Amino acid sequence: MAARLSPDTENGMPRATFWALLAPALILLLLSLYPFLTGLYTSLTNQKLYVPATSFIGLGNFVRLFQTPLFWTALGNTLTYSILAIALQLPLGLAFALLLDMPGKVQSFFRSVLVLPLLIPPVVAGLMWKTMMQPQSGVLNWLLGAVGIDPLPWLANPATAMISVVIIDTWLFAPLAAIILLAGLQSISVELVEAARVDGASAWQIVRRIKLPLLGPYVLLVALFRVSDSLKALEIIYATTRGGPLNATRTLHVMAYEEAYRWSNLGRAMAIVFILWLLCYTISGTLLALWQRQEATRHAR
Amino acid sequence: MRADISLRAVPRLALLAIGYAAFTAIVLFPIAWIFMMSLKSFADIIAYPPRFLFTPTLANYEEVLFGNDAEQAAGQMPDLLRFLMNSIIISGGAVLISVVLAVPAAYALARRRTKGARQVQFTFLSDRFAPELSIILPHYVIYTRTGLYDTYAGMILVHQLITLPLMVLILASFFRDIPIEIEEAARVDGAKVWRILVSIVVPIARPGIASAMIIAFIFSWNNLIFGLVLAGGSTRPVTMGILQSMTFDQIKWGLMAASAMVSAFPGMLAAVFFQKQITRGLTLGAVK
Repeated sequence: MAARLSPDTENGMPRATFWALLAPALILLLLSLYPFLTGLYTSLTNQKLYVPATSFIGLGNFVRLFQTPLFWTALGNTLTYSILAIALQLPLGLAFALLLDMPGKVQSFFRSVLVLPLLIPPVVAGLMWKTMMQPQSGVLNWLLGAVGIDPLPWLANPATAMISVVIIDTWLFAPLAAIILLAGLQSISVELVEAARVDGASAWQIVRRIKLPLLGPYVLLVALFRVSDSLKALEIIYATTRGGPLNATRTLHVMAYEEAYRWSNLGRAMAIVFILWLLCYTISGTLLALWQRQEATRHAR
Repeated sequence: MRADISLRAVPRLALLAIGYAAFTAIVLFPIAWIFMMSLKSFADIIAYPPRFLFTPTLANYEEVLFGNDAEQAAGQMPDLLRFLMNSIIISGGAVLISVVLAVPAAYALARRRTKGARQVQFTFLSDRFAPELSIILPHYVIYTRTGLYDTYAGMILVHQLITLPLMVLILASFFRDIPIEIEEAARVDGAKVWRILVSIVVPIARPGIASAMIIAFIFSWNNLIFGLVLAGGSTRPVTMGILQSMTFDQIKWGLMAASAMVSAFPGMLAAVFFQKQITRGLTLGAVK
């Protein structure tokens, strides 16, 4: 038992020192509150890019948005993208994690492979896949043909564009899900698994009855990271379809960008962005709170 | 008995081997394909069915890195090289400023065990949930008004939004792993917090600090939106440059592929050498 060095031992570092060390970083971060608040005000004006004169129009931008069918399409697309992304990436990530959950050098090699997509610029990944997804000359359709499947229009057709974009997202980010779930699998005690094996449990039973139930907090963490990122997906879409064809991949974030830089409606763009902001914070905040609660009970045990 | 177990293991091992092969193919194929494309001549690129065997050429890399004939004749710097330089200045500068601010902040978060400290940590985390445009579009208005638009200073400042929270969270996770007893011994000797941080904690955490810097650099490097909105002709980063190569008249696939490989190079290098630390960094220290 270490001797008590100061009355602050319970709380760790003294409060004054804590704030002094933290202040520079915190102040810089909080500085970005100012643009955020000016943006919030902009969403209540009819401000145009490149035009100085603006006037306050209250909730006018929001009212108009709610009457615009494209807004609802974009909202639907945003949610579809997010749901598809998590629906693909969670099972695929789990499969990868189960595959790689083993000791030794081999795993270290596969983990290097695993993090590779995560460190490639999303715009580069988008362009890479766009090249491969070319309907006429792309290598993917050739590979499909080799196994007897008809060529797909991929990004070029409204019916398949969304899933194509999500496939690119999945190639980039399923590895993140895998990394988190792999850490979860490796936190499970070896004795527990060994005991089950001695009792005659099959590999599949060990996965279903022991490993999966214990992965709860890690699954939540995957959901937190992937849902919060996919709701604001922009770069992959911008590099591939720019919202098209026929608005099939126009998410709220893409719509906001176009509204600002194509139509120069800054006020309306900010209104879209803040609706998206609200959506992101509600969903991510809920997932974060759930995860924190699970963590707290885990540490209490 | 022993033979029986290994015999039963054969189909399982075969299944695993197929699993590993499929996994590696899924992850690596797109990169390998574009890498091959970057080494192809134009005729090999547009050939259909796609060619897996071809005579490699470095012509694409030569052109993107050293310029085409016209650029060479005029003594001009090729675009990609300028974009690369911009990215190095912006991301490098952003990381250098961030590390100075993040080390003390992360140390404070790691060493104070109160609810308030955790709350502050979540403030840094929640930065990640905001759609980029909610902060970047207002930046555009402010930057054009104050003359920060399309300047290195402006870009480095706004990239703090990426690098600073990332580094604070990663470093806090590394600092928590350093046994506090070492510092307490120094504190008994009367050393001030600042001295303990500089002469004890930082040297121990040096590998952690290095990997946090690398991850932050790559995330800043990979970003597109900030450049799209806030950078013009003189600070355009490499991610924007490569997009530009796609949008002009006809697409020069070979050049695009070579540029893609060059701009993805820092990330791929890091994946090979810092895989372990990156795992922690990518999950913001939530997972070790």
